[in-house]
Amino acid sequence: MKNLKRSLIFMSVLALAATMPACSSKNSESSSGSSSASENNSQSSKAQADGPLTPYSDEITITLGRQTVQNPKIPDGDTYENNAYTRWLKKVLNINIKDEFEASGDDYSTQVSLALSSGEMPDMMKVSSKDDLRELYENDMIADLTDAYNTYASDYIKQIYDSYDGRALGDVTFDGKIMAIPATNVDTVGEVWIRSDWAQKLGMKIDEDKNGCITISELEGIAKEFMQKNPGNAQNVVGMAFAPWLTADEPDGTYSINTIAYALGAFPKTWINENGKVIYGSTTQETKTALKQIASWFKSGLVDQQLGTRTWDDITALLVNGQTGVTFGCWHIPDWLLNNVRSMDSKATFESYAIEDANGKVNCKHNNATAGYFVVNKKYAHPEAAIKIVNLFYDEMANSKTLKQDYPEVAKYQEDGVDGSTRPFNIEINKSTSLLDDYSDIEKGVKGEISPDQARTIESRTVIQNVKNYLANPDGCEVVDWSKYHSRMKGIELIQNLTENNKLNWVTPIFPTTTQTMKTNWANLRTMEEETFIKIATGAEDADTAFDQFVKDWNSMGGEQIISEIEEQLK
Amino acid sequence: MLKTKKDLTRYSQISYHLMMLPGMFFLILFSYVPMVGIIMAFQDFVPSKGLWGSNFVGLKHFIYMVQLPDIVKVIRNTLIISIGKILLGTFMAIAFSILLNEIRLKFFKKTVQTIVYLPHFLSWVVLAAVVMNMFNLDGPINQFIASIGIPKINFLGNNKTFQPLLISTDVWKEFGYNSIVYLAAITTIDPGLHEAAAIDGASWWKRVWHVTLPGMLPIITLMAAMSLTGILSAGFDQVYNLYSPIVYETGDTLDTYVYRIGLVGRQYSFGSAVGLCRSLVGTILLLTSNWLAKELTDRKIF
Repeated sequence: MKNLKRSLIFMSVLALAATMPACSSKNSESSSGSSSASENNSQSSKAQADGPLTPYSDEITITLGRQTVQNPKIPDGDTYENNAYTRWLKKVLNINIKDEFEASGDDYSTQVSLALSSGEMPDMMKVSSKDDLRELYENDMIADLTDAYNTYASDYIKQIYDSYDGRALGDVTFDGKIMAIPATNVDTVGEVWIRSDWAQKLGMKIDEDKNGCITISELEGIAKEFMQKNPGNAQNVVGMAFAPWLTADEPDGTYSINTIAYALGAFPKTWINENGKVIYGSTTQETKTALKQIASWFKSGLVDQQLGTRTWDDITALLVNGQTGVTFGCWHIPDWLLNNVRSMDSKATFESYAIEDANGKVNCKHNNATAGYFVVNKKYAHPEAAIKIVNLFYDEMANSKTLKQDYPEVAKYQEDGVDGSTRPFNIEINKSTSLLDDYSDIEKGVKGEISPDQARTIESRTVIQNVKNYLANPDGCEVVDWSKYHSRMKGIELIQNLTENNKLNWVTPIFPTTTQTMKTNWANLRTMEEETFIKIATGAEDADTAFDQFVKDWNSMGGEQIISEIEEQLK
Repeated sequence: MLKTKKDLTRYSQISYHLMMLPGMFFLILFSYVPMVGIIMAFQDFVPSKGLWGSNFVGLKHFIYMVQLPDIVKVIRNTLIISIGKILLGTFMAIAFSILLNEIRLKFFKKTVQTIVYLPHFLSWVVLAAVVMNMFNLDGPINQFIASIGIPKINFLGNNKTFQPLLISTDVWKEFGYNSIVYLAAITTIDPGLHEAAAIDGASWWKRVWHVTLPGMLPIITLMAAMSLTGILSAGFDQVYNLYSPIVYETGDTLDTYVYRIGLVGRQYSFGSAVGLCRSLVGTILLLTSNWLAKELTDRKIF
C-alpha cells in the first residue's frame, strides 16, 4: 500500500506539473483586478507603513516543501499549489506559492532528509524534528527570524506564543536567535475510538458509570465481542490493529499501543527525569508488561495477525471496510481518518473513551510545546514573508469577523472541511488553552447560550454550525458535520470531562536534544527497540528473555552513555 | 598502395571512436566524477562546509562500521540473498532458455517470451504491492494453503520465509529477461554438432549435457563473474519495499542498512564508507573470478 501510495503521489505530482501553467496564468489574471481593493483594505486597517499584513508591491514567489495528506474535500481543479488559501495569499500579500516538492507521511521526512543532504532546500519548508532544525542551524542553512518576528508578528501571534511561557519560542531559539516558526502543540489525551453503532446493534453496555473511562479488560471484551459477532458483516475480521512501530513518541500516537501502555504505567519512547536520574521509558518493566499484554492478545487472535506488516493505510482500510471497530488516536482523528469510515457507511458513529489504570486514573503525558517547525532558507530574500503568512493564516483568518463577506472562497474551504494542509504552512499555531477554550465556545454555541459570532475563532463558528447540522440529521448530514461533531463533542468533550473530574494523572517528560552518542548510536538503538518490540508482540520471541536482553543490549550499546549525557544536559 | 589502405582504415575508424564519445562522456560524468565523493568516507562531512571544508577523521567511520553489532548480521543476510538470487536465477535462466529453444511453434514461443520478459520491465515499487497482496494473510496463496489444511503463514512477517520469498520473487521477475543472453548463446552452437550427436544415438539429455551446455559455457562464465561484482548488493528497491522491522533479522541488507543509517539518519560519511567497502569487495571478487575463469576454463573475461 505504501508503494501504491508513493506511485499515486508521483502520478499526482506529474498531473500537477501538467496543470500548473494553466492554473498560474489564470491566477494572475483574476487577481490583478481585485488586488487594489485588498491593498486599500489592509493599508487602512494597519496604519504602519510596513505592518504585519502589508502586501508586497512587486509580486514575490516562495518555493515550499509541502507536506500533504489525503484530501478528498479539495474542490475539483484546486491543488496544493493553487487553492483558495494560496489565491487569498496572492490577493492580500501579493505572494505566489510554488511547490518544490509535495509528499505525505514518511515520504515527506525522506524528502526533507534529501533536501538537507543535497544542501538544496526550498525557500521555506516544514521540518518535523528538533534535530533537523539543529542541523539546519549548525549548517548555516536557515535564516535568523528574530528581527522579522519582532517587527512583523501581530500582537495576537505574540500572545499565542507567550501563552506557552517561552517554551515554544525557547525551543527554536539558538544562541539567542529565533531560527524557525514553531508549530504549537497543546496537550492531548490518547483515546480509544469504538464503533458505537455496532455496540448499540449488539446491545452492548460500555462505560456504565459514564465517567468516560474503560479498563483494559473492558477493552478486550469489546474487541472480542466485535470479532465474534462481526456487526460490520465483513470478511477477515480483526479485533484490534496497530501500526508496525507499536509505540509512538507523541502521547496520542494514532494506531499505536500508547494508550494501553500508559494505562499499565509504561511510557515508551519517553524520557523521564526522576530526581536527576533519567529513565528511558521503553526499557522499563512496565513497558514489558504492556508488550506482554499485546502478545497475549496476538496469541489469542484478538490482535491483527498481520501485525508488523500491516501498514498505516492498511489499518485505515480495515476501519473503512468494517473489518475492525476499535482504534486508537487523539481527539481529531474523526476529522482526517475516521471521516473515511463515515464516507463509506452513513450509519457509522464512534464513541471515544480513555483507558484507566488500576487506580482509576488516566495516565497521560505532557506534549512538547512545539510540534514541527517552519524554516526559511538563509538565501531567501524575504524572510519576513514567513511571519506575514503566519499573521494572515493564524491571526487574520482565525479572528476576522468579515472573512465570509470579504473572501467567501476561503470561508467556504473552512465550512467544507478542506484539509488545513492546503494552507501554505501545514502547521497549527494555537494558544496553550485553545483546545478547551474552543470547546467551551462550541458547547455554548450549540446550546444557544452564545451566538456563533461570539465564539473566539472562525473555526469554532463553523464547527457550531457543523454540530447543529449533525444533531438535526445525524444520518443524512455531510461528512464534515459528522467529523466535526465527533472530534469536538466526543473527542474534546472527553478531555474536558476528564479534566473536570480530575481523572487525569499528568506525567511531565523531558525533551533532550540529541547528544553526541545519540548522533552515532540512536538509529541503531531505535531499530533494535522496534525490532524487539514487534517480535515480542507477535510472539516470535519470548517476552521475558527478549526484553531483558534488549535492555541489556540497549544499555551497553550506548544507552547508558546517552542517559549520562542527558543528565549532564539537565545540570 | 598498402600504405594508403592502412591510412584509410585508420581514418575510417575515427568515426567509430567519435560514436563512442558521448558514451565515454557519460561514463566519466556519472561513474568517475562522483568518485571524488570517496573523500567523504574519510571526513566528518557537513553539507554546508562542502567536500573541501569538512574535517578529515581518517578511518573513524570504517572502525565504527566494523564495530557495529548488526554488521555481521547485515552482511550475512546480504550474502545469502544475493548468492541465492545468482544461483537460482542463473539456473532458471539457463534451463528456461534450453527449454524455450526446443519449441518450434513460433507463435507460441513468442507469446511465452513476452509473458516472461514482462515482469522485468515493472518497477519493484509496483511489484511489491502485487507481492504483498499475493502473500498476505488474506491473499490467494494463503487461501490456497488454508484450503489444503495447513495453517496460514505471514510470509512477509516471518523470518523463515522472508529470504526465500525475496529470492524467488526476484528470480521470477528476472529469469525471463536474463535468458535472452543464453538463448543467443545457444543459437551460436553449430547445429551440426547436435546432428552428429543425434546420429551417434545421444538422447536429448545427453545432447544438452555434452553439446548445448559446453557451448554456452563461455557466456555462463561471463555472466556469473559479472554478477559476482554485485554480490554485496541484494537489490535495494525490492527489499526496501517489502521489509518491515519484524523481518530485519533476515531481511536487512547492506543497502537498506546504509540507507536507514546513512541517508535517513544523515550520516553521509558513514554511508560512503560502507559504499566504498562494498565497491572494494566487488572489485576484488571481479578480479578473482576473472583469474579463476582463466585457470579453470582457460577463458579470460578481460
